[in-house]
Amino acid sequence: MRILLIEDDTVLGAAIRDQIAGDGQSVDWVTRLDAAGDAMAGATYDLVLLDLMLPDGRGIGFLKALRARGDVTPVIILTALDQVSGRIEGLNAGADDYLVKPFDLSELSARIGSVARRYTGNPNPIVSHGALNIDLAARSIHREGKPIALTAREWALFEAFLTRPGQLLSKTQLEEKLYAFDTEVESNTIEVHVSRLRKKLGPQIIETERGMGYRLGKP
Amino acid sequence: MRLPRSLQARLGLLLGILLTVLWIAAASVTALILRGEMDEVFDSALQETAQRLLPLAVVDIVGREEDGITQRLGTIREHDELFTYIVRDADGRILLRSHATDVAIFPDYDGPGFHQTATHRLYNEDALQGTVRITVAEPLEHRASVAREIQMGLGLPLLIVVPLALLSIVFAVKASLAPLRRFGERLDARNARDLSPVPDDDIPSEITPVAATLNRLLDRLRAAFDAERSFAANAAHELRTPLAGAIAQAQRLQSETRDHAARARAADIEGTLKRLTRLSEHLMQLTRAEGGQLRLDLCSDLRIVAQLVVEDVARTGAPGRIALKLPETPVMSDLDPDAFGILCRNLVENALRHGSDAAPVDVTLTPDGRLIVANDGPVLPPETLDRLTARFERAGASAGGSGLGLAIVAAIADRIESPLVLRSPRPGTSSGFEASVRLPVGDAKVLSD
Repeated sequence: MRILLIEDDTVLGAAIRDQIAGDGQSVDWVTRLDAAGDAMAGATYDLVLLDLMLPDGRGIGFLKALRARGDVTPVIILTALDQVSGRIEGLNAGADDYLVKPFDLSELSARIGSVARRYTGNPNPIVSHGALNIDLAARSIHREGKPIALTAREWALFEAFLTRPGQLLSKTQLEEKLYAFDTEVESNTIEVHVSRLRKKLGPQIIETERGMGYRLGKP
Repeated sequence: MRLPRSLQARLGLLLGILLTVLWIAAASVTALILRGEMDEVFDSALQETAQRLLPLAVVDIVGREEDGITQRLGTIREHDELFTYIVRDADGRILLRSHATDVAIFPDYDGPGFHQTATHRLYNEDALQGTVRITVAEPLEHRASVAREIQMGLGLPLLIVVPLALLSIVFAVKASLAPLRRFGERLDARNARDLSPVPDDDIPSEITPVAATLNRLLDRLRAAFDAERSFAANAAHELRTPLAGAIAQAQRLQSETRDHAARARAADIEGTLKRLTRLSEHLMQLTRAEGGQLRLDLCSDLRIVAQLVVEDVARTGAPGRIALKLPETPVMSDLDPDAFGILCRNLVENALRHGSDAAPVDVTLTPDGRLIVANDGPVLPPETLDRLTARFERAGASAGGSGLGLAIVAAIADRIESPLVLRSPRPGTSSGFEASVRLPVGDAKVLSD
């Protein structure tokens, strides 16, 4: 999943970026609204984390403009304003969720997962795929009651396939979901992760369309 | 004597008294001047009469054959004599008298000129080296009655005109003060949270500065309230952002390090930072509860706020432990939703912190605006209940609250003039704790009318 983080506090922003990256998602971090606008024009994001008080304007205005353009990218507001009226305003402006600072990073991860699932049309975090039982919220996979351990990157890659069953995903799309703008990606990284997933979850788990990309295998 | 407090009564009374006194004084002076003028005219008539009569009397007396006889003039036609006179010789013998003369009223002759006795005004004149002396008398009673008539003439209209004048004063004062009275009524009818400017279009110019000052003051008050609101919000923001950064970094440290001791330290730092956050938040909430405006001129549905707050508290710490009961119909209130949020959150957090884990915390909002938060747990003695709303008072030493939660709720309850009722055990049971507060509900329009 590719996430845009708009937060002007460097200490908090760094911790959030590390947390999301630790979950295996790709994250682009900007500290100003104009930079955020540029980033959104240049790439497709699956989720936006939006601080409300930024040096060049209010996040609410940015959110309203986003929704006015018909952009339905999920937005979670991160704010230090805990007033109920501010929260109602944020939700009315089209935010999907609202986190009041300070929050637990694990709570942030859970909300990101929950909002993302809501957008894929299946809010239930428990998914089964063939013999696999997958809990997206807990990030756990069981086959016949036995747990299977995935690294954060593997998990993020698998989740990208799982939430888009049947859809063909190109190598570039997958790279974008896993890595931020400024990260150097090795040319065979996706192939390496896919082969590891096949090793752990079974060779049929991901199908290859030669020259086109990958898609989730039939259960 | 103390003047009445009403400006209208004061003006009416003072003007009335002044007018009456002035009128009476003017009438008295007029009467006095008239009396003086009248005396002059009467005296002149008296003198003229004497000087006219004297030559006739002299001719009459000198032409007599015998001396010393008193002649009384006969009456030509029956009439009341106003002027009476006698003519005497140097020895005081009466030579001539008018027909109605009462000799007793004439004192002895003592030279020409005006004289006065207790009852009469006299004028003496003599001729022939003082051998013929005339004295004309006019009764004082006559003059007095004329003066009385004049005074009556001046005084009677006073009895009619003064009450009429007083009535017109009352009417004029009332009419002139009507805009002032309307101004006062408009101020009186305002409710405590109405800070809109007072209309000053039709008030007298003397009061315009008052209205202008009042409006400036209301403006400043509104600005101060707004500033206080945004200060509390900004201060919270300014404090929270660095705290959030520090907490997040402490959490990253815990997940990144493999050293157990370092992880435990990072957890300690995180715990302390969270406590600091809670305390600063509560201090801010207390400031907000004690100052600033708690009632707004627009209404909002308290159910939405209660729902948000309960979801929030449940999500961050107590999933499934809160049972929220909301009415079907909106509970509209002009209470600031943020203030209600603070109140609700503190009651719920308090109940979660001190209630037993086994039973859920019941949060109920009734259609008539009563918020009841109840939890199960040991019964608190009445003296503890009394102490709970004091600042930095914790029900249990280990409970881990800031000790400000119920104080904040009590401060808000006090400001909306509705007591915070604490009961233990819960009504109808033998254990637990219940806090309830009645919130102002109703349509804002209805309230302000």
